[in-house]
Amino acid sequence: MSNKELARNTSDKILALKDLVIHYETDEEVVEAVNGIELELEKGKVLGLVGETGAGKTTTALGIMGLLPSKVGHVVQGSIWLDGENLLEKSEREMRSVRGKKISMIFQDPMTALNPVKPVGEQIAEVVLLHNHCSKAEAIKRAQDMLAMVGIVPERYKEYPHQFSGGMKQRIVIAIALACEPDLLIADEPTTALDVTIQAQILDMMRKLQNDKGTSMILITHDLGVVAEMCDDVAVMYAGQIVEYGPLVEVFDNPKHPYTRALYKSIPSLDKDVERLNVIPGLVPDPSNLPAYCSFYERCQERCDKCKEFEPWAVEASLGHVARCIQYTPEWPADAKKGGEE
Amino acid sequence: MAELLMEVKNLKKYFFTPRGTLHAVDNVTFNIEKGKTIGIVGESGCGKSTLGKTLMRLHSATSGQVLYKGADIASMDIKQFKKNYRSHIQMIFQDPYASLDPRMSVFQLIQEPIKVQNKKMPKAEVEKKARDIMEFVGLAKRLEGAYPHELDGGRRQRIGIARALSLNPEFIVCDEPVSALDVSIQAQILNLLQDLQKERGLTYMFITHDMSVVKHISDDIAVMYLGQMIEKCEAKEIFRDTIHPYSQALLSAIPIPNVHEKRERMVLKGELTSPIDPKPCCRFAARCPYATDKCLAEEPVLRELKPGHSVACHFAEKFMK
Repeated sequence: MSNKELARNTSDKILALKDLVIHYETDEEVVEAVNGIELELEKGKVLGLVGETGAGKTTTALGIMGLLPSKVGHVVQGSIWLDGENLLEKSEREMRSVRGKKISMIFQDPMTALNPVKPVGEQIAEVVLLHNHCSKAEAIKRAQDMLAMVGIVPERYKEYPHQFSGGMKQRIVIAIALACEPDLLIADEPTTALDVTIQAQILDMMRKLQNDKGTSMILITHDLGVVAEMCDDVAVMYAGQIVEYGPLVEVFDNPKHPYTRALYKSIPSLDKDVERLNVIPGLVPDPSNLPAYCSFYERCQERCDKCKEFEPWAVEASLGHVARCIQYTPEWPADAKKGGEE
Repeated sequence: MAELLMEVKNLKKYFFTPRGTLHAVDNVTFNIEKGKTIGIVGESGCGKSTLGKTLMRLHSATSGQVLYKGADIASMDIKQFKKNYRSHIQMIFQDPYASLDPRMSVFQLIQEPIKVQNKKMPKAEVEKKARDIMEFVGLAKRLEGAYPHELDGGRRQRIGIARALSLNPEFIVCDEPVSALDVSIQAQILNLLQDLQKERGLTYMFITHDMSVVKHISDDIAVMYLGQMIEKCEAKEIFRDTIHPYSQALLSAIPIPNVHEKRERMVLKGELTSPIDPKPCCRFAARCPYATDKCLAEEPVLRELKPGHSVACHFAEKFMK
């Protein structure tokens, strides 16, 4: 696949993934977690990475960070470009200066992401000391500023994680991630473990920080509501592939891939009354045994016999809006049904 | 007026901790009609699960009554409850990964409750019953010998539902049954629960923090905050006319998957205050943007503002549409 098909102007890219393939290899099987991802992120933009459990969202993020479980997880193919440098060519030592400084990650569960036996302030100062040439006093000052920025009084610098509530712990995790002002922030389900009112606070804060600092962001979530509120672009993942990619409004108003369409119909709506929810039949395919044809075929409500013949490729269905479905290629038979009718 | 299946009157469940008395469920009164679904909404720590477990007698109530078809199941002898009522009232648990014994096969898991309740039932009959239930909830026969770790979340939750249904209950407490599931699987389970309700005339108490799910499945909704019920009405009504400031905040906090509708959001300051020895004031006052001195001095009671719509707020009239 050439970059052209990933349909965006090629200026101002902070991150570019080219044909990224990641496998988990064990003695018994090979799990094909990520299968040829092409992705580009412009500076200062927020990209939403959406998909169900096992779609490969977190694996992609760990791949970018160079944090795949050693021995088991391998980048089999492709390249990861950050600001014009291929991260895969860097040594572990060099990666350590990239992580935390250039790319930061917020993990899903704030309860386990913090060190329970170290005061939270020190955990922030630690990152600052590691990546900047500064004195201890300066690092402490910076940590206190960061605490204030995420809405926690700096006097609580010396307190331990268990003394904070879930929402506050997530703020501290965010403070650690942003302490060195990274160019790229990867947030992996940052609000999934939190209550809605706390989620609203955290999202508000993240949006504000993103506006002020111009940080580029990849937001991994399964919540389409969060995506609608936070993102500029959306990539929908299924079975290790990006099945749809485009600007937020385009993807929401005019979903191209049958999976995206089905996903919208399966969530209960606050505005509309529906008797029965639309169900996507079946399950996500086993990543250790993916079919040679379209991986969504078995669950697709718009499929035709052609779909079973080969694996679809990403096509630009309309300007800047890419879908991986043969509906948008000349191979699609003219008499096949279209439009997502059941 | 439809037949009442359950009447909960002034139910309290306190936990006595070294730091003081934790008011998990505090003076809750409501009715559940037969064949209907009541949705209980609120944030973590508001007492929704404790309420569900107290109705089930998994916790014993501190005071108050739970009348099930007229009989007070909250105060009756636990042996008598288990013998006569346990099979009527069943529960579906939140986490299908944690609520199933990993060393039991699917078939054993579904037989277990039947065996416990009917000790003298012949083996063949138990097995037949379990098979019927499996078919009923959409678990394929080939899965009989499978163990929970081999199954995905949706199928595990079906086992949980099968276990609850195997005793032919009339009332099921569903404690966040879809929260741990992906959206496409969530839809399957919600549809299954609705079908079962239609076929068997089940009554549900549906505990969740997800407003869109509760709107979809419930007939009535009750919003809880720190152990108290603060708003109660028909499911659709709460979205038409949200009165309590907390309910308003809760609704406005939900991110809506619609890119054209940008709503004014009411972001609450702070977090839940402690439910340990709460002061006699409005429990939401600390976070409420409209709080006055009266709110800090006096505890509001749940009162009916218009037919079928009750709110616990001193200034409820002000927020009415």
